[in-house]
Amino acid sequence: MNGKTALYIVKRLILAAVTVWIVITITFFVMRAVPGGPFMGERAISAAAQAQLEAKYGLDKPLLTQYFTYLKDIFLHFDFGPSLKQRGRDVIGIIADGMRTSVKLGVIAAFISLGVGVVLGSVAALRRNKFIDRVIMVITTAFVSMPSFIMGSLLLVLFALKLGWVPANGTTAAGMILPIITLALYPMAYITRLTRSSMLDVLGQDYIRTARAKGVSKWKIIFGHALKNSLIPVITYFGPMLAYIVTGSLVVEKIFAVPGIGRAFVNSITGRDYPLIMGTTIILATLIVIMNLVSDILYKLVDPRITFD
Amino acid sequence: MKKFLALLLAGVMAFSLAACGGSGSGGSSSGGTDETGGAAPAADVAEPGTINVCIASEPDTIDPALNSAVDGATLLIHMFSGLAKWAQDPSGALEIVPDCAEELVEGVENEDGTVTYTYTLREGLTWSDGEPLTAGDFVFAWNRAAGPELAADYGYMFEIVDGYAEMWETDDSGENFVNPDAVLNVEAPDDRTIVVTIENAVPYWNELLAFPTYFPVREDVVANEAWATDPSTYVCNGAYTMASWDHNSLITLEKNESYYDAANVTMDTINFYLSDDSNNMLTNYENGDWQFIDDIPTNEMARVQEQYPDEYVVGGQMGTYYVIWNTATDILPANSGLTGAEAEHAREEIRNAISLLFDRNYIVEEIGQAGQVPASSFVALGLLDANGIDQFYENAGHNDGFVGYYDTSEEAMQSNFDAAIETLSQYYTYDEASGQFTDFPMTLTYLYNTSEGHQAIGEYLQAALAGVGINMQLENQEWATFLNTRKEGNYDIARNGWLGDYNDPISFLDMWTTNSGNNDAQFGRGDHASVQAYSMDLTPYGYDINVENGTWAETYDVLISTIKSCTDNDTRYELMHIAEDLLMQTGCICPLYYYTDPYMINSSVQGFFASPLGYKYFMYCTIA
Repeated sequence: MNGKTALYIVKRLILAAVTVWIVITITFFVMRAVPGGPFMGERAISAAAQAQLEAKYGLDKPLLTQYFTYLKDIFLHFDFGPSLKQRGRDVIGIIADGMRTSVKLGVIAAFISLGVGVVLGSVAALRRNKFIDRVIMVITTAFVSMPSFIMGSLLLVLFALKLGWVPANGTTAAGMILPIITLALYPMAYITRLTRSSMLDVLGQDYIRTARAKGVSKWKIIFGHALKNSLIPVITYFGPMLAYIVTGSLVVEKIFAVPGIGRAFVNSITGRDYPLIMGTTIILATLIVIMNLVSDILYKLVDPRITFD
Repeated sequence: MKKFLALLLAGVMAFSLAACGGSGSGGSSSGGTDETGGAAPAADVAEPGTINVCIASEPDTIDPALNSAVDGATLLIHMFSGLAKWAQDPSGALEIVPDCAEELVEGVENEDGTVTYTYTLREGLTWSDGEPLTAGDFVFAWNRAAGPELAADYGYMFEIVDGYAEMWETDDSGENFVNPDAVLNVEAPDDRTIVVTIENAVPYWNELLAFPTYFPVREDVVANEAWATDPSTYVCNGAYTMASWDHNSLITLEKNESYYDAANVTMDTINFYLSDDSNNMLTNYENGDWQFIDDIPTNEMARVQEQYPDEYVVGGQMGTYYVIWNTATDILPANSGLTGAEAEHAREEIRNAISLLFDRNYIVEEIGQAGQVPASSFVALGLLDANGIDQFYENAGHNDGFVGYYDTSEEAMQSNFDAAIETLSQYYTYDEASGQFTDFPMTLTYLYNTSEGHQAIGEYLQAALAGVGINMQLENQEWATFLNTRKEGNYDIARNGWLGDYNDPISFLDMWTTNSGNNDAQFGRGDHASVQAYSMDLTPYGYDINVENGTWAETYDVLISTIKSCTDNDTRYELMHIAEDLLMQTGCICPLYYYTDPYMINSSVQGFFASPLGYKYFMYCTIA
């Protein structure tokens, strides 16, 4: 890593911090502008009880004061506060519980999709217009265009209900197989197509022809020259995809009853659980910003022509 | 760089292989909390002492004082034991029996009309950590649950206990408490005696004692605010203890051998799976992993009823699904010239006539599909009348030949429709040829919270009104926004629903007093505050109250407080019928159906029952 790269990373990190701060600020004020509140339910509590609870959680103070208190708490003490709905639980604990599951599912699904996608894409490119290429293209087109709620439901009915091979409930290890497959299918198909077209592009380049003419072996050409360069678009895609996939998919979590972060996020908004909304938003935003950064750095590592100017 | 690529590729392969292996081998990564649901595919493989059930998703809280949800209550009744509990007698009927108390004693009436009960706790009761359970634990728990410091949703369940009013008395601002040191009139003269005084005798007192908000908790346990979120700190005194809680996944209860009645508890382990997706629940049920589910997807309802006639059960639930009018919605023709009480009576007639246009049988059979019952009153099916046998709703209204305030039978649909048209024709121009009113003064907006079911009902109501030329548009809002809009009264007409807290009609009636937080119709507020359109005569019942053309506050509010202080059971029920008459007279409440609680239970499960409030009891279950 040279000085330029280091400077670039520092610049990007500062930019990332600013981005997260903007996200915090916007979320904080927009969330409070939305009608309804955490202590409102089908059964109304008395005004006195409401005031009591607001005072307990500091919601009675002016909004700006609350905002600065919040910033101070998270930046100085890493304190995300208590949940207003799940009384007795801390936001950080709820997020940790959800992330544990989502990250496990997401990382496994992401790497499966990367591994399988690159292999299938390369095979398709090398066997261009042959039978195997056609088959791979038809299948991936189907996976790319099928929404996850349909794919998930199909898998659930087939493997959990009709065949009974795996449980329908995503809380057990065996129960995680279907959600992982559901999560992995779309990016896998996408990576396959990406690898194929990029590989085809690379295979037609002059330097490949030169290598062939010089008598370099076929496998050396593929692994030593073609594959590496054709992975550049895959890497650009992989970073944000990983961030997206580990931050939880509400649809998949619902279909398979997976206790992930996506559901916690949505429920926090429905319940106006302010600290939990903030906590999940911050964590998710940070993750996405960081993954984008990592992906940009990887990009440079693979393709030396790219500079950070 | 060449090596980098090879390494990357190899890494990717290794990762995916490891990943496949990890997820496929049923490894230890899930935390190992699930002993039965993981690999065991069907009910016949499950151990006989274990039942897998799913009643809802993660409960917000399982602190007895803070809980206000039915699913939370189901967990609580398994882990806590109050002075009383619901039980099933040999004939299958439900009754309230003593639990921690040796017996459910009769109260002694004091000179001021208050009633004092003295309970004795069973000998040798202990908490799940072995500490003795004392009367003082009840005193502490009740004051904690009732008081402003906790500000619990269900704090008002102690409203009947002497001292509650002082606890909550505020200054004129409504936000500062006048008596910060006030406590409930409940004492523990010794470790086994509880003396509690209530404002006046009520028939549902024993039922309250079986209510989770009245369960005991121990002061040193709840001093830790997070006590109810972790099995290691969750000290309870009931039939079960919490063995594990995988948040959003599974709560496992294990039989508590130190529970005084442990000998009669037949189920050793209960796995409460936590899911909010009814399709997922049904799949788990159908593949045999779960033996009980409390939610069934509406679009599967018909198939399930046909395929599992013995396992599909429609349980009772004390609740009403209804349409609510905002009193401020002015539907009178502009040129009516009516004012004050006359105008209000005209609005009442119009609203009640519109209510007759709806085919409730169609709604329950074609849309609800879960055995709901067409409603003809607001106080729901399941609430009993004075004698404790008759249904309150069967004695509601004063009409002959049908039950309630209007006839919901299919045969009556045409005559209801004709009557409605006749009434509405007095106010609007009716075009006989097209069968439409041509000058209804406004386009109504029907507000509902986002949900397919509510939308389908909204669309039906819209179509029914469009049939007679009344335009109504639909507007949906997300739940919390919807609640806010409805409470603030920023709507014309809206979807609503109410579930009773205990088996007494007052739990459906006191919500409509002027200052009640649930008075979504805005009775007695705004312009309605000065409307003198209500009359009631309580002199036949021994009260010196006879109001002719009074306001809502002068009639309904007075009536509710009279009911709350009434000590004669029969009179009290008569007064509650009068209150419902007043309420239904306004036409602002348009009941559609009484809720039911459909669930599925595997035919191998014996000994299950549900309380009238919808709590599910699995402790006496056996699996054949």
